[in-house]
Amino acid sequence: MRAFCSLLLLAAVPAVLAVKTQDFKTCSQSAFCRRGRGLSARAQEASSSWVSPYSVDASTISIAPNLASFTAAVKSSLYPDIKFGLDVRIHDDGVVRVRMDEVDGLRKRYDGAASWALVAEPELSSKIRWSVGKADVRAKYGDKKDVEVVVAFNPLRVTLLQGGKEQVVLNGKGLLHMEHFRAKENSPKEEPAGESEQVVMQVNNRAWFEGDSEDEYWEEKFGSWTDSKPKGPESLSLDISFPNHGHVYGIPQHATRLSLPTTTGENAYYSEPYRLYNADVFEYLADSPMSLYGSIPVMHAHSAGSTVAIFNAVGSETWIDVAHPSPKSTETHWISESGILDVFIMPGPTPADIFAQYTRLTGTPALPAHWALGYHQCRWNYISSNDVRDVQKRFDMEDMPVDVFWLDIEYAEEHKYFIWDKKNFPDPVDMMHDVEDIGRKMVVIIDPHLKRTDNYPVYQEANERGLLVKSADGEKDYEGWCWSGSSAWIDFFNPNSWDWWKTLFKTLPQGDRWSWTDSTIDTYIWNDMNEPSVFNGPEISMPRDNVHHGGWEHRDIHNINGMLLHNLTSQAVMTRTDPPRRPFVLTRSFYAGSQRFGAMWTGDNLGTWEHMAAGVRMVLANNIGGFSFAGSDVGGFFGNPDSEMLVRWYQVGIFSPFFRAHAHIDTKRREPYLLDEPYKSIIRNVLRMRYSMLPVWYTAFRETSVTGLPVLRPHYVAFPHDEAGFAIDDQFFVGSSGLLVKPIVEKGATHTTVYLPEDQVYYDYFTHDVHRGASKGKSVTIQADLHKTPLLIRGGSIVPTRERPRRSSPLMKYDPFTLRIALSNQDVAHGELYLDDGETYSHRDGHFVWREFIAEKTEKKSKAVRISSRNLAAQKPGEAVDGVALTKYDGSNDFAKSMADVRVERVVIFGAATKPASVKMGDSELQWEYTQGVAASDKREGMASVLVIKDPGVSITSDWEIVVQA
Amino acid sequence: MVPWLLLALPIPVLAGVDKTHGVSLSLLSRYQSPGSPSAPWTCLDGSKTISWSAVNDDYCDCPDGSDEPGTGACPNGIFYCRNEGHIGAHIPSTRVGDGLCEPECCDGSDERLGICPNVCKEVGAVYQEEQAAKRKVQSTGSKIRTLYIASAQKEKRRLEGQITTAKQEIAVREDEVARLKDILDRAESISATALEYKKQSPLYASLMEHSRALKALESEYKLHLEREKALGDILDALRLGYNPNYQDMAVLEAVRGWEALAGLPHINDVAKDDESHKQEVPSQQEQELEGEWTAEQLDKKLDSLINSDYETLLIEHDKHIGAPVSDSPLYDLTAYIPDAFLPPFEAFLQTVSSWLQSFGLTSGTTATSTDNSKARQAFNDADKNLSAVKQEQKKAEEELSHLFDPTWFGSEGEWKRLQGTCLSKDTGEYTYEVCLFDEARQKPNKGGSTQSLGKFSSWDTGAAVGSPEYYGKQHYTQGTKCWNGPMRSVTVVFSCGIENELLTVAEPEKCEYQFTATSPAVCLPLRAEEEPRDEL
Repeated sequence: MRAFCSLLLLAAVPAVLAVKTQDFKTCSQSAFCRRGRGLSARAQEASSSWVSPYSVDASTISIAPNLASFTAAVKSSLYPDIKFGLDVRIHDDGVVRVRMDEVDGLRKRYDGAASWALVAEPELSSKIRWSVGKADVRAKYGDKKDVEVVVAFNPLRVTLLQGGKEQVVLNGKGLLHMEHFRAKENSPKEEPAGESEQVVMQVNNRAWFEGDSEDEYWEEKFGSWTDSKPKGPESLSLDISFPNHGHVYGIPQHATRLSLPTTTGENAYYSEPYRLYNADVFEYLADSPMSLYGSIPVMHAHSAGSTVAIFNAVGSETWIDVAHPSPKSTETHWISESGILDVFIMPGPTPADIFAQYTRLTGTPALPAHWALGYHQCRWNYISSNDVRDVQKRFDMEDMPVDVFWLDIEYAEEHKYFIWDKKNFPDPVDMMHDVEDIGRKMVVIIDPHLKRTDNYPVYQEANERGLLVKSADGEKDYEGWCWSGSSAWIDFFNPNSWDWWKTLFKTLPQGDRWSWTDSTIDTYIWNDMNEPSVFNGPEISMPRDNVHHGGWEHRDIHNINGMLLHNLTSQAVMTRTDPPRRPFVLTRSFYAGSQRFGAMWTGDNLGTWEHMAAGVRMVLANNIGGFSFAGSDVGGFFGNPDSEMLVRWYQVGIFSPFFRAHAHIDTKRREPYLLDEPYKSIIRNVLRMRYSMLPVWYTAFRETSVTGLPVLRPHYVAFPHDEAGFAIDDQFFVGSSGLLVKPIVEKGATHTTVYLPEDQVYYDYFTHDVHRGASKGKSVTIQADLHKTPLLIRGGSIVPTRERPRRSSPLMKYDPFTLRIALSNQDVAHGELYLDDGETYSHRDGHFVWREFIAEKTEKKSKAVRISSRNLAAQKPGEAVDGVALTKYDGSNDFAKSMADVRVERVVIFGAATKPASVKMGDSELQWEYTQGVAASDKREGMASVLVIKDPGVSITSDWEIVVQA
Repeated sequence: MVPWLLLALPIPVLAGVDKTHGVSLSLLSRYQSPGSPSAPWTCLDGSKTISWSAVNDDYCDCPDGSDEPGTGACPNGIFYCRNEGHIGAHIPSTRVGDGLCEPECCDGSDERLGICPNVCKEVGAVYQEEQAAKRKVQSTGSKIRTLYIASAQKEKRRLEGQITTAKQEIAVREDEVARLKDILDRAESISATALEYKKQSPLYASLMEHSRALKALESEYKLHLEREKALGDILDALRLGYNPNYQDMAVLEAVRGWEALAGLPHINDVAKDDESHKQEVPSQQEQELEGEWTAEQLDKKLDSLINSDYETLLIEHDKHIGAPVSDSPLYDLTAYIPDAFLPPFEAFLQTVSSWLQSFGLTSGTTATSTDNSKARQAFNDADKNLSAVKQEQKKAEEELSHLFDPTWFGSEGEWKRLQGTCLSKDTGEYTYEVCLFDEARQKPNKGGSTQSLGKFSSWDTGAAVGSPEYYGKQHYTQGTKCWNGPMRSVTVVFSCGIENELLTVAEPEKCEYQFTATSPAVCLPLRAEEEPRDEL
């Protein structure tokens, strides 16, 4: 009876809807973080008397012949017998790579993080020369020779300067510390280490630096878990300062503001450091430096003068403190559990340069399949093949566009991924064909944990081939708990897993090997739980002392782990057909380089306004981290949002690169066709809006796939000199389109203010109202009733759209275009359009269309405006597509030919000064309609003049000119 | 500037679209050629006037989309395909020219010429066949439905008969009860005083105290049993339905704790290989005191013990003790009479007593009590019988009122026949069952407790009461509560079929089930024009 009573008491405790913070470590619960913060506290205390114990042995400097690379020995005065090696290189694009490792140590530090992140081994500069001086090694480079790298010997300090100003400084604060490998001393004392006299009595001449106790060097407890730490202490501490930059951005994934708030120093916004340790955080907080599902250790430092960035290629858990000693400078402190020091310094000096430099290292985002930019409808779970058919039918009845239906874990029998639950999905291939008949696709979830059971061929094969992650003893397969109950995890660090994994996705039989013949080539994949999430593991993940291929501990590779599954699945989907087709794989966990493999989403968010707002910032931060193809679950994963919130969330969703609605199994169904009016019609229009703008999105994705410039651009990226915009993270630009969006993320809004960063005219996309900015920046009020997302077109932009609603994006392939020309206050405008077949790699062979649209005065003093379409592909073939630099462009390629009949059906010009006297193409007058209004070149506000040219009868693929005579 | 010569020639507008293409038959008159292409034409909503040449030119001019009946240019238009040889159909203009051949447009007119074949002949034939088959089912089903209605009429007569009989019986029995009550009252009024005195006995008072305590204990005990069972059910449901989506190891611990306590095997356990962790069910048997009731006795005999007739017991007790414990002041006189006078007094008493008895003024204590309890017994029995008949009547009246109540068995009583009929469906893991107008259930096929998915609560509240749509759905609500979810409920969607059959079971939202079923009860008679030909 007593047992019952206590159980009853438990049941009476109300469920709190919030993260379980006790499941996750704080810095003070993590031994190495505690040691790292202890180090910085001692340095703070010692102030100017603090000197880093690390120094370069100048006599050992060895400069590579003809390459900008040198190595040198490094010593620590604390441990004179321990040897460290330094390796500094300058790449041909000016990026500096600094590496340091222990040499001839008892063990090896993990040095593979960069190799997983980098797209290729970077080319070193053969032009830049190091010069060795008495106190340092230096190299000067750059077009104006204004970039300089200085490696000071004693103490070791690496500085990047530009125009004589310090941009990035490593170990400037003397916090560099690489804990060397050591043998575990058999402690003579049995009693727990407390204030044992003996310890204090020993003279510890390292205590000023390391502190006076061996803080959990060899074993660490957290909750009921014990980390055996067989390698002992091996953490790495490094301070990275940006003495002339007042804003830092990046290091996703955190639910924080874009311009990262401080974690140390006076009035620090957070008390905990930012943490990078991929974790499945249930009901995460909307404003916190806690770890989330992915880690990109990339940080931008920005000021009106320049932008620089660093990429700290470490795969182990990392904590980052951020402080602003003054509003114009930033200090950061990076504390990692293991691995070598491997830092890339990107010199910028503009945000665009940073993106080019970073994506040259880790790769540009893959150009997605065109359909993947459409609307994705997901739910945990559509419960049967008939349920899927019914959902499709209801979308079609309501004439709401959707491209993809998703299946969460319940499709799989006993959560054995790939294996259909035939009771509810008796006919999976037929079901998929029914979806594909409307041009749609399906995405099905495949997680990395395998149910440990004999009747599961995937587990059996992995087991037989020895492809599973081992437990701490290195022998036994690790067994943990996940969706499928008792599970094992595939070790993708084992190269033998790669081909095996790819074979699983083949849709045709593969001899005696199992393959997914119950799928089609239009079945795409969702990788979830790849942090990895382990329900009964420490911090809902794997024990750190688990062993991966090559003997590396899980702690060494934890943050990279999720990317490998994404990488391999992406390759598997790409290569299941010959020729290959563009894969689509969504991942929850990610690392630097994940942008090459597909899309990500912000995990299990809550259906609250707070999380809606956090999602916008998190997606922006991901774009900064080079991973543009990002979105948050529309509607919120948990909870039942009301209709107003759902409408606003769809408006957020259509301006996310990845646009998916998803819902938890405990929620009410909320597919948009279920809503009452007026909400249903509003969302229908919102969905159609996304589809009409697919040309804009696809063009933006082409750009990021070539240049690395993100799809969503916050103000500091778009206007890097406008100080007032640096902290703005609730409005953003879509690619280079000139579209400026400020999603509404609060209840009951009817208006909002939008910041305009320049002296330019901006047009309300829907009402055509003119708003004028100012060179010092200006906030304007925009109407934002429920049906209206605040969306402006920047004067000087030409926006191509397709305005015929269809059920799915492939059905729009031959639909005509509308061109919206938003004249600038100088009466000019410019825009781009990129098209290809949207699913193969034929664009790399030149089968695509890349156009430029220009509006300009026919002559300098003339009032006539000429609108023309030009072949951008022919002008810049080398920059047209990702992955290959074409030398020429053939305008009669197969794709262009197939599009030759596709028209521009409408040209709309905003802000023309007067009613035209004529609108002509060649000699023939076109049909047009003019509505009186404000001119772009005016100073007035109000509704812009609108000139609509009806059906000029021109192809989207050809060159043409229209002259509007005033 | 690009030389004009290099510019591509303007491409031709979608050629050959007839002005009446896609126009609904009823609107054809509005699309008559006004004579010249430049002649004005007004949008159907009157909002704008355009030239006739702009009709069906694949450019949207009218806000209502009426200028483009035959193209996909307007987002809000309606396209009509004539489907000659079959039945014409309207589709949204968003499906015109999208490259897909719409199944609604068997004539292929929704796409450009040559893309979609005209399959109206085949489609029409299949359609006719399907319709015929459907009509046949409906016709047969409606005949069964007629039988159901007839059965309801019969039931009505039966219930009416039952009510009449009951009323008569009630009258008779009420007289009987009144008579017996009278006898009882008289008997009781005589013995009341005696009984009251006896009741003052400390033994009786203590007995009553015991009885009250026992009653309280019993209800407390039952309450605990119920709570224990409810808790066990909750924990069983948690154990079986436990969904680690909250990734909450505390839940796992609770499940394990329950398994250990209830002696259940570990379910899906991570450490299932580790036999040493298996715990013996802790023995809950405690030493029984001699003569102490067993749980079974408690279960079966406690009620009758508590419901003992204590007054009868009291009287029996007197008899048992045998002592002529005087309960009348008359008998107590001996105490006050000097010993010397006793013998003559007792003789006198004997005489008086028998004299009194013969006049019926007093009676031998034991005999009086027996009569009294017999009278009570007779009255109680008669009263019980009367209540039973009244209950029967009430039940019959209620049934009668439900019979043609549209919110119950339908205005024709067509559902009455199916009351309590159970339809079931085996889905592998569970067998689902709905007993109409009663309860829906989920029974695990591999053992475990059956869950109630809800009791019948209403027909489709979204439809007008009594309409055919109204009988298309039944709701069963207030089933067992889900862990972390609502109380289970079921919506049964009926369609016309010859059999009463459960077709599909789905759980589109957690713990909210959707059943589809067929029943002849929803097969309305065919309207005259729908009658299958073979019946004509």
